[in-house]
Formats: sequence, structure tokens, C-alpha cells
Amino acid sequence: MNSETATVQQVAKEKDEVGNFSFPENHKFDAGFGLTKDTLDYISKVKDEPQWINDFRHRALEVFRSKPMPTNWATEDLNAIDFDKIRYYLSDGATPKRSWDDVPPEVLETFDRLGVPQQERAFLAGVEAQYDSEAAYSNVKEALADEGVIFVTCSEGLKEHEEIFRPWFGKVIPTGDNKFSALNSAVMSGGSFIYIPKGVKVKHPLQAYFRINSENFGQFERTLIIADEGSEVMYMEGCTAPKFETATLHSAVVELVAMKGAKIQYITVQNWSSNVFNLVTKRGLAHEDAEIRWIDCNIGSRLTMKYPGVVMKGERARGEVISIALANDGQHQDTGAKMVHAANNTTSNVVSKSISVGEGRSTYRGQVLIPKHLKGCKNNTECDALLINPKSRTDTYPAITVKGNQHVTQHEASVSQVSQEMLFYMQQRGLSEAQAMSLAVNGFINDLVSEFPMEYSVELKRLIDLEMEGSVG
Amino acid sequence: MFATLTSPALEKYEELDWPIRTVENWRFGSWKKANLSGLELVGSGQSADLPSPVEGYSRFVFQNAELVSGSHDSVTVLSESFGPKSRLGSEKLAALHTAKSSHGLSVKAGSEVAIEVIHLVSGEGLLLPTLVIEAEKGAKIKVIERFLSADSAATTVLSAVDVNLAEGAKVTYLVTQELNAASKLIRLADSCLKASAEATQAVIHTGAKWVREETYSTVDGMDARSEILSVALPSTGQEYDQRTFQHHGGRDTYSNLLFKNTLFGSSKTIFSGLIFVDEGAHGTDAYQTCRNLMMTDECEANSMPGLEINADDVKCSHGSTAARVSDEEIFYLQARGINARDARTLVAKGFSIEAIEKLQDETLEALALEVVERKFATVE
Repeated sequence: MNSETATVQQVAKEKDEVGNFSFPENHKFDAGFGLTKDTLDYISKVKDEPQWINDFRHRALEVFRSKPMPTNWATEDLNAIDFDKIRYYLSDGATPKRSWDDVPPEVLETFDRLGVPQQERAFLAGVEAQYDSEAAYSNVKEALADEGVIFVTCSEGLKEHEEIFRPWFGKVIPTGDNKFSALNSAVMSGGSFIYIPKGVKVKHPLQAYFRINSENFGQFERTLIIADEGSEVMYMEGCTAPKFETATLHSAVVELVAMKGAKIQYITVQNWSSNVFNLVTKRGLAHEDAEIRWIDCNIGSRLTMKYPGVVMKGERARGEVISIALANDGQHQDTGAKMVHAANNTTSNVVSKSISVGEGRSTYRGQVLIPKHLKGCKNNTECDALLINPKSRTDTYPAITVKGNQHVTQHEASVSQVSQEMLFYMQQRGLSEAQAMSLAVNGFINDLVSEFPMEYSVELKRLIDLEMEGSVG
Repeated sequence: MFATLTSPALEKYEELDWPIRTVENWRFGSWKKANLSGLELVGSGQSADLPSPVEGYSRFVFQNAELVSGSHDSVTVLSESFGPKSRLGSEKLAALHTAKSSHGLSVKAGSEVAIEVIHLVSGEGLLLPTLVIEAEKGAKIKVIERFLSADSAATTVLSAVDVNLAEGAKVTYLVTQELNAASKLIRLADSCLKASAEATQAVIHTGAKWVREETYSTVDGMDARSEILSVALPSTGQEYDQRTFQHHGGRDTYSNLLFKNTLFGSSKTIFSGLIFVDEGAHGTDAYQTCRNLMMTDECEANSMPGLEINADDVKCSHGSTAARVSDEEIFYLQARGINARDARTLVAKGFSIEAIEKLQDETLEALALEVVERKFATVE
């Protein structure tokens, strides 16, 4: 942030020379609408980035422009994104974005009902630009530093820890992986860089909250987590409260690297407001005996397209995706998993449960790949969908490729609705229809919810109660 | 009718593009093999020994496009295509069929009929057979359609089939394909079921270099039941690409799909299936299963079992597996004095029979099993 402040005047001056940027008062840094080469240079300058990152951004922009929208398999709704009407970089420094008066009452009500702590509410609503984590978490941070854990923003990571950062950056998810990973590579800002040294087992889950930075939940965050040999870490992002967000496109890239015997768990709870396109690329690289687990919950956004993946590169590596999706009116949760078995005796597991309410649509899209000349690979995929209303919609599109006869794969999917008998039974015992439905839905995802840390699972349950309201009767 | 159907179809055929890689319906598939440009229609065919007649069935034999034997009151010889509509990626091939097909049969009946159609193909080039089955109210129609090669030339067969079932009609339809190892088969099969109709469709693939099969089954009428079965036994050099669509358009309908692939040598299979339930098609009961038995370390199985559900009061599921014969099963049989090799064959045959049994017709089951046995004799 210091370096950013230092360059602001210079940038402001140059800005007028390089492009037609608008510069509204409420944002300290603003790259303006639309995406051009100047946008990238502006971001690089504000963030005082080394040349190699600037080159990386420019290459990525070319890739982004060259790739077509993937509407040959994905929803046509993607065409509703107008890339010229998006601001690609906004940073407020330490100034609050808005006052409590600007926060819609329904958001406040949700905070109340979820029991979000006052401190977090202010941050989530954008009333405070920073979440005061120092007081709450300083002990944790100290303990982490003692063990040699690096936990910084992505910008700091690439500048101050280049020797660890650079060899893995963009290696798990190359720029050209898909159109949106290219977009992220061009305009990335925010996100975390984490390095866990050999053998260190981080006891507490790391949360994006720990860092004091409003960019945390940026539109184009970039996260890289490297767990060195034998280490363990759990990372949590997002929160169960609805993010009060006006931006319409969120496109993050998250890369995980688990070295020999390391374990990484990455937990996401996504609850963007229902005007957001959430197009995220997440992938982990698991070396020998390593384990990567993605635990993913999608409740918000207009369209989410997210298929966390694990490339099992070393023998006996393990990959797992556990996913919950809830699609309400006007929402499309297009989620899934990608498992690439690239070594012998690797195992992967995918469990996905989705709930479609009202006119919501949930989609499971998965890929399992077991290439030639490998032995003993196993995959298990289960997807269950629950439909609540007559116009609810669900789709499943898995793709499984197996070569050779030394593997076992199985895929199962089912679609069902909450049975009338179940609802009747509960209503008999004094629950209202809505309460009964809520209980049934919570029961449907209960075994997955228990994979989340306690405080998350409690909030999740409340959130589902909230979403189910008014869906019946 | 011929002229009115063919000339716009020819225009449409010229207009459309051959399949390309990025089309989702050709994912994992050999889209280049579907490019039939420059391929001429084959001339007159050769004769060859025919399999022994199936009891109770009246036999029709085509040598290439020429009908050499067969006649029945319920069967009309066609000289044009019915105009198939491919909805699974082969629109250009469908247009080609519409424009140029000049031979086929139509089976239309309101009572019990059993017909066997043999396509004896030979020579290098293209053949475009047509088959229409019209089952009127209360009909019980059984059809066997067999594809056989008379020589070792690379014949490309583009076959279009339309099966229509009126209320309460019943159709059992078995296709066996034992073409030579140089030939290709593209099969576009549509079926539509009205209320209380029952259709059982099964295909047995053991031959050909490449098969592309698009099965589109519409179940519209209340209490209609559709069974879609397939047994495929590809070996080295063979690739079977099967795409299916189970379309549920009305209330209280049932469909069940069971595909069993046993892969030998360096063969490849692609299965892509979709259960599609329309808005308001409540009470749908739809299942889809694709099982791959991997016999070697060189074979490759791709499965894309899909669901698109737009109604909530439904029971739908799909499953897909890929595995080899389990060591336990082999051990069990070995313990009873059967050697490991025979044990594997035995289990593999049993695997195919599970689908064949669903035909629920002794004659047809025996025929299907005969074709399967013939293949096993060549690979083991």
C-alpha cells in the first residue's frame, strides 16, 4: 500500500496522457471502464510491479482476446457479459466505500439473522475498507511467522518472495487454460500467496480475513498456495454473508501446489449478490503421497462456473472435491470437478450435491481422465440433485475417459425431490411446511456440511433456512 | 414427393458443414471419419452365404441397394428417405441421407408381424439404407435388422431408422452389426412412443472399423415405456461412438437405457447419453447406465452420461463404470476348476448377457447371443 501511495500522484499525471480514464472521487485508484493495454500498464504502475509481471499481463491479454467464449458447451448467458462496461481495477486505499445508509436493508437483515459479528459486518458491507484483524488474530500471525509460514498478498509475494513464487506461478493453471484464466492473468489484483515450509502443520485454518486489505475479495484475485514436503494447511475464503457487491464480473484463479506428502484443504463459501458472474479457475497439483481437497459451497451469484481440479502428478496422490450448490430464482450454479490422474495408484473422489429452488438451475460438469499405461487409479464420482419446485432445473454432464484395465472408476448421479411423505410426517409433528422443507434440505446436504469447519457449517445451515423461505406454500 | 424432398435436401446438404472438433456432440469422437465428401454410392452388390433363417420371421435381403428377395403384406419397398433429422451432431449426414437414399423398407402394421431385414453390403463406397417402422394401435411388431459384409472392401453404410408407435403398440427391434474390419457404419435412429406404447430396441455391435450411432428416443405418451439396449464388443482397430438422447415430453413416462461395452485389444468406445425431461413432464422415470468392461491395458473408454431435468416430480439416475473382471470373480471360478482364461471369458460373456436378457424374447436373445459368441471366438 505504501508503494501505491507513493506512485499515485505520478500515475494520476500520466493517466491523463495514456487514456480516457474516468476518475470518480470515491475510488483512489481506478483503471476505468474497458480493457486495453493501458489498463494493464495502469495496474502494473499502481502496484509497482516488476517488468516480468507486466509482460505476463500483456501476453495474457492477447490470449484472452484470441479465445472465443466457450458457449459451444457453456450457457449462452455468458454473452451477456459486456467486457467494455467493466472496471478492471478499483482500489480504495484506506477510505471507506460507503456509509451505513447506503447499505440495503435486506443485507442488514441478513447479517442480523446470520449473527455476523459487528466488526465483520462493517467490512462486508463495505462501510469499513479494512477488517481490523490485528487485534483478533495477532497471536495467530505471530505463531505463523515463527514457523516460517509466508502469508502475504499476491503482489507482495511476487515482489518479495520471487524465488519461491515465480517457479510455480502460472504453472498449475497456465494463462491459456481458458478464456477467463487469461482474463485473470491480464488484470489480476488481490488474492493471497502462502508458503508452508517443510514439515510445518498449520493448526489453525488460514483465512483471507487475516490480511488487512480491501483487495481480499477483489474481482480478479489470484491465489497461489505452496505446501512444501510433509506440511499441512487449511485455507478458507469467502464467507457465508452475502457480499454487497456492485461489480458484475468476478474471475479468480487459484493455484495449489502440494509437494511430496503435503496436504492442502481449500474451503470456499461463495455468496455473491445475484448480479455477479462468478467465473473461477481452481486447480491443484499433487505430488507423491500428497493430498488436495477442495471443499466448495456456492449459494450466490447469477452464474457461477467453477470446476476445481486436481492433477495427481506423483504416485499415490489423492484428490477430492466436495461441493454443495444452491440455485435460486435467476441463478445458475454450473459447478463440478476435474480429476487428472497422471501417476500410478492415484485416487480421486468427487461428491456433489445440488439443490434447485424456484426457477434456479444447477449443473454438474465433471471430467475424469486416466491416461494410458498407468496402474491402480481409482475414481469415485457421486452427484445428487434435489429439485424443490416444478420449474426448478438440474443438469449433469460428466465425462470420463479411462485407458487400460488396471483402474476402477464409477460414476453415479440421481435426481429426486423431497418426498411428500417426509413433509407430511414433519408437518404432523408441528413443523410448518417451510420448516419441514428446510429440515429436509439440510438433511440432504448434512454429510457434506460436516466437512466444513464448525462455525461455517452453522452459518451454512442458517443460510439454507433463509434461502428456503418462501420456496414452498 | 421424391423431387420435393430431395432437391431442398441436396441444397441443405451442400450448405451444412461436416462435423468439427469443437462441436460438443463430437467430443472425444473421430469427427474426421464422419467426413464423407468425395465418397460415391456403391454399385450393384455381391451375393454371399446368408445366416440360417430365423424361425417365424419373413426375410428381406438387400444386396447393396437392390432388394433380392422378400415380400410381405405389411412391408412396402421404399425408394427414398423419410428425411431423418439428426439432433446429435450429424445434421449434414442426415441431409445427405435425405438427398440421396434410394432404398429401404417400411413396415406398417396393426397386428402381429415379424420381419427380418438383411443388408449384405460389398464394394468400396457409400450405401444409404432406410427403415421405417409404423406400429399402429395394438400392433405387435418384431424386426431384426442385420448388417453383413459380402467382401472385404471398405463400405460406408449410412443408415436411417424411424420407429413410430401409436397408442398401445409394441415393438421389439434388434440390430446386429457384423461388418468387415474396413467398413464404417453411421446409424441415425429415431423413435417416438405414444401413450401406453412399449418399445424395446437393442443393438449388437461386433464388426466395422468405426461406428457412429445416434439414438434419439422420444417418450411422449402417458405410461409409454422405452428400453434402449446395446452390447458392443470392439477389438483392436475398432472404435464405437454412441450418442443417445432420451426425451421425456409427457407425464408418467418410463425409459431405461443399458449399454454394455466389452473392450478388447486397443479398441475405443465413446458413450454420450442425455436424459432430457421437459418442463411439466412430471412422473418421469428415466434411467441410464453405461458399463465398460476393460479386457486389456490398451483399450479406452469415454463416458459422458448426462441429465437435463426441467421438472421436479421425477425419478432419474445415471451411472457409468469402467473396470476389469475382478480378481475375486476369477478366483471363485478357478477354485471350481475353471482356468483363469476361461473364467475371464465366462464373466465377460455374462456381462453382455445381462443386457441381452432384457430383450425378453427367446428367439431374439438366442440370435444376439450367437453374434456375441462369434466375436468371442475371434478374440480369445
